[in-house]
Amino acid sequence: MNTDIHFLQQLEDDLTEAAAREAALLAEVDDDEVSVHRSRRLPRRERHWGAIAASLVAFLVLAGSIGFLAQRPGQQERAASGAAGVKRDVGDAVGGVPAAQASPAPMPGTVGEATSGSGTRAGSLTQGGVDFSVGDQAAADQPATVHGGPLLPSQQQGDLSKIIRDGRISIVVPDGDFETSLTSVSRIATSLGGFVLTSTTQNQNTGTFTLRIPAKKFDVAMERLRAVGEVQADAVTGQDVTAEFIDQTARLQILLDRRDLLEGLQSKATTSQEILRLAGLIEKTQLEIEQTQGQLRYLKNQVAEATIKVDLRERHAPEAQPEPTTEGPSLSRAIRLGWQGFLRVIGAVIVGLGYLIPIALIGLAIWGLVTLVRRRRRAAS
Amino acid sequence: MPDQRTDTELLIASRDEPDAFTELYRRHAEDLLRYFARRTLDPETAAELTAETFAEAFASRQTYTDKGVNGVAWIYGIARHRLGRFFRHGRVDASARRRIGMPERELPPEDYERIEDLIDFAPIREALSEALETLSPDQREAMKLRVIDELAYPEVADRLGCSEANARQRVSRGLRKVALMLQQRGMQLTTEVEA
Repeated sequence: MNTDIHFLQQLEDDLTEAAAREAALLAEVDDDEVSVHRSRRLPRRERHWGAIAASLVAFLVLAGSIGFLAQRPGQQERAASGAAGVKRDVGDAVGGVPAAQASPAPMPGTVGEATSGSGTRAGSLTQGGVDFSVGDQAAADQPATVHGGPLLPSQQQGDLSKIIRDGRISIVVPDGDFETSLTSVSRIATSLGGFVLTSTTQNQNTGTFTLRIPAKKFDVAMERLRAVGEVQADAVTGQDVTAEFIDQTARLQILLDRRDLLEGLQSKATTSQEILRLAGLIEKTQLEIEQTQGQLRYLKNQVAEATIKVDLRERHAPEAQPEPTTEGPSLSRAIRLGWQGFLRVIGAVIVGLGYLIPIALIGLAIWGLVTLVRRRRRAAS
Repeated sequence: MPDQRTDTELLIASRDEPDAFTELYRRHAEDLLRYFARRTLDPETAAELTAETFAEAFASRQTYTDKGVNGVAWIYGIARHRLGRFFRHGRVDASARRRIGMPERELPPEDYERIEDLIDFAPIREALSEALETLSPDQREAMKLRVIDELAYPEVADRLGCSEANARQRVSRGLRKVALMLQQRGMQLTTEVEA
């Protein structure tokens, strides 16, 4: 360096030293990189475990996929059975207690055992009696049985099965036919003894109607509605409330009995204190009787009249605006959905494993056999 | 045999070959020292800023990318930044030197005059005499003897009745103050075109 300034000469020395330090460091890093590169090749045993882990993961993923595929036809089946007529939710109807039976159609002669949620009363029916026998608290462990006269299966279904039926149908009609189709729909309802409960129309070419039809005419109504135009979608669901009906009826009977008993006691009561206490109890029982009667009335109405929701649309009418969803985001709902999804995945994996494991075992056996034969041959040669 | 590579090439090469940076230093150290001396008027400050600028350039040479900015222009960019910091804070820190493990060296006595020679006081002498009035009497006297009368340090020390080192220190501090003050007043200390 051509300078006579000592400071700059010293600085040059200092920089040279710093450069040398850095060069040494770079060389070290290079060495490390080489060693890191070398160590990237895992030892044989670790590679072996890695391969096993990868195979296991692949196997589980495959099992999950198969499980999902396997579960899909089941869903379709359920949907088909719902469309065919009846969807039974007896478990729900008896207040969360799993239903003893939920067969698609009632077995001749036996409707099943209906158990109330509290388990303090029990009503059981055999041979399809019209009147329900009721066991009270004392007879809880011994279900009462009533024998009625023999009935034909169709009669039993008509009398005993309490099924709330719902239908939904989307009909497309030719352009300009909306008005006449609307009249047809309304006429179907009235001609069968039903009525139009709600009606919404848009632009004189799209409309949604809710029909209430006597339950017995439900199938006829659906059939006639299908003839109004081209059916785009069509679904029928049924909710079996037989058990709930039986339960409520039994409850009503108990309450009525209790009221009679209390009234009898009240007439024999001597002290005013006793009379007042019994009056309070009678009043409470009366209230419960009315509540139960109301519940039964509601169920009867629901069963007596089916609901059919009809979407009617002219062919080239714009799609009806979907109803705005007002449901806000909910953390608990998200967690619930997430948990359900997780369980569904686990379930799918288990189902898939059920498919895969036997196949895998057979494959393993064949592989073992082939290996054995080969070894023997090699040993022989 | 001198290195034929351009400054930019040297700077890029220095990423993997740190020695190449020393060559870059050899080429430009004195120019950069002059650059700082003319702006700070103080040999000590100029030397420190030079050391700090090269240390910072060395430490961050990996970040230099050849986008049409010459390697030296990049170093002068660092120099301007360092100078700005000096004028804002009135001192030079040693962060870059510490980062690369370089010692903080004192300016050898013989370098003071040599660096002052790099400063062209002629164009600023007038402004300087005004600025001198703001200094302490000791610093003012030392500055007058050294900068206005252009006496050598042994003579300045004789006149002031102090040691040579003390005289140097007084002049150095005085010059630094003046440079900071002139900078605050927005006065251009040099008309030199940057390298």
